[in-house]
Amino acid sequence: MKPLRIALTKGRLEKTTIELLEKIGYNCDEVKNKGRRLILPIGNNDFEVVLAKAADVITYVEHGVCDLGVVGKDTILENGSSFYELLDLGFGKCRFALATKKGTDFYIGYNTKTIATKYPNVTRAFFDDKDMDVRIIKIEGSVELAPLVGLADGIVDIVETGSTLKANGLEVIEWVCDISARLIANTASLKLRKAEIEELQKKLEAVTK
Amino acid sequence: MKKNLKMTPEGTKDFLFAECSAMDYICSSIEKVFVKGGFKRVITPALEFYDVFSIPSSGISQESMFKTTDNKGRLLVARPDSTLPIARMVSTRLKNNTLPVRLYYKQAVYRNNPSLAGRRNEFLQMGVELLGAKGKRADLEILTSAIKSISAVADDFRIELGHAEVFNALSKELDIDDDYKEKIRVSIESKNYSALNNLLDKLEPCKTVSAIRSLPSLFGGEEVFADAYDICKGTGAEKALDYLHSIYKELSVLELGNKLIIDLGLVQRNDYYTGIVFTGYINGIGDAVISGGRYDDLLSEFDAPMGAAGFAIDTDAITMKHLSDDNVNYSDNPDVLVFAEDGHEMKALKYVDELNEKGIKAQFSVLETLEETEQFAKSRGIAKVETV
Repeated sequence: MKPLRIALTKGRLEKTTIELLEKIGYNCDEVKNKGRRLILPIGNNDFEVVLAKAADVITYVEHGVCDLGVVGKDTILENGSSFYELLDLGFGKCRFALATKKGTDFYIGYNTKTIATKYPNVTRAFFDDKDMDVRIIKIEGSVELAPLVGLADGIVDIVETGSTLKANGLEVIEWVCDISARLIANTASLKLRKAEIEELQKKLEAVTK
Repeated sequence: MKKNLKMTPEGTKDFLFAECSAMDYICSSIEKVFVKGGFKRVITPALEFYDVFSIPSSGISQESMFKTTDNKGRLLVARPDSTLPIARMVSTRLKNNTLPVRLYYKQAVYRNNPSLAGRRNEFLQMGVELLGAKGKRADLEILTSAIKSISAVADDFRIELGHAEVFNALSKELDIDDDYKEKIRVSIESKNYSALNNLLDKLEPCKTVSAIRSLPSLFGGEEVFADAYDICKGTGAEKALDYLHSIYKELSVLELGNKLIIDLGLVQRNDYYTGIVFTGYINGIGDAVISGGRYDDLLSEFDAPMGAAGFAIDTDAITMKHLSDDNVNYSDNPDVLVFAEDGHEMKALKYVDELNEKGIKAQFSVLETLEETEQFAKSRGIAKVETV
């Protein structure tokens, strides 16, 4: 039987996940000394780890070429489709927020508001819930710039400490939702390899609580 | 303007040679099961009125359909599914037929999927519908047909079985609106425990709430029933659970072992299904290859209320998996290439027929000279050239 293949979001989520896997007793030396390799064995070939960009983790899991994935809730909300979301891993915590220039009243007036964001789907869903029609502009880099130069009335973005907002004279006026790292599973894999996946899930659950 | 002259639209593809042979093999393996079960083939149009698929319980979103109009400006869609057209057909063409009727189909469906996700917008589906029958006998027949179909094309598979009324009965006991119910359903479907807990924590704690909380984790073998009875005792889900258990026990004679899974978190298209629901998975394919169940309310939408159950198989996905298996070989080469000397063409053609009848794969060379024929045979790897 092939080892279970887990897709990890490169960077901070990857490091914390590896720490968790070590905590529950798997040898992760190969991943720590990965060099340029993208597929790495874990433990005694118990698992295989694949390193990918956040949105790609979802793609690999959805298509079933990876059985499991660790990815931020932000990516799931923006790209989500069909897979199982098994576990809130409790790290990589931050929040989506709606922010505007300090001292402005965002909700005043009849004009349609313009929102700059890297997360158009999250933004759309948030304002849909409010029955509010907004104009959404997708920005790739620092979203904080948009309201400062007058492109947008507000931004929807990930906020961790709030210091970037503060430094640019912006303030959070509403929290959209909480974000943290999640363990996701391909729908077919969970059915075909139930025992193995559940074992790992239980172990991870025990160390994240 | 650049013409899209040399490409196919996203999500569609050409099938060449081995792909067609493999598809024929998969389809005929499944077709044999259908025909033996007494199911008769029907073909419905590729274009249907949009209205057929816009009934409330269809579960097919507007965005996912390819649309066009007829010459009166009425909205048409390329069929995204075959069950609804068959329901339309049965409610009209077969309304005076003695029931039940057993039908099967083998036709492409069209879905407008989000771009660049690698999904297929056109794919072949096969499936059966058993219409005009309710109850356990019909359910058992549909389930065994599904199991026989999947066993005909794969060894390592899983069939998971649930019941739409488990969730429906439980959610009816809660004082929540449809939107909230849908949010709960979605989080069960995606086994999203944290979202489900958040939603349920906002409700008054009671037996029903804790039963719903456990639904996504209630999947596995027969042991699931013991847990489920504990959790659902005294709730409206008990009846569905009893029924499911009796179906499970009947199926145990097939000795499927761990290939048969119970999943009480199977809640997809819950407005559509009214009884048993099931999905099938094959090792190596990342998505369900069979989905089906009982949908007794569907035919009422077409003013012909009757019991109905059926399932659809994604034969495309199974074909692609089959082609990637190591031991599969669909060589389309003939064993012998027959070259005719001038004036002997008809004789050579007859010889080709004779060889083929003996079971030797022979092909007539349409090239003008023996040299060209030999060269062609060499470049194609055909072992033998005979001259007549």
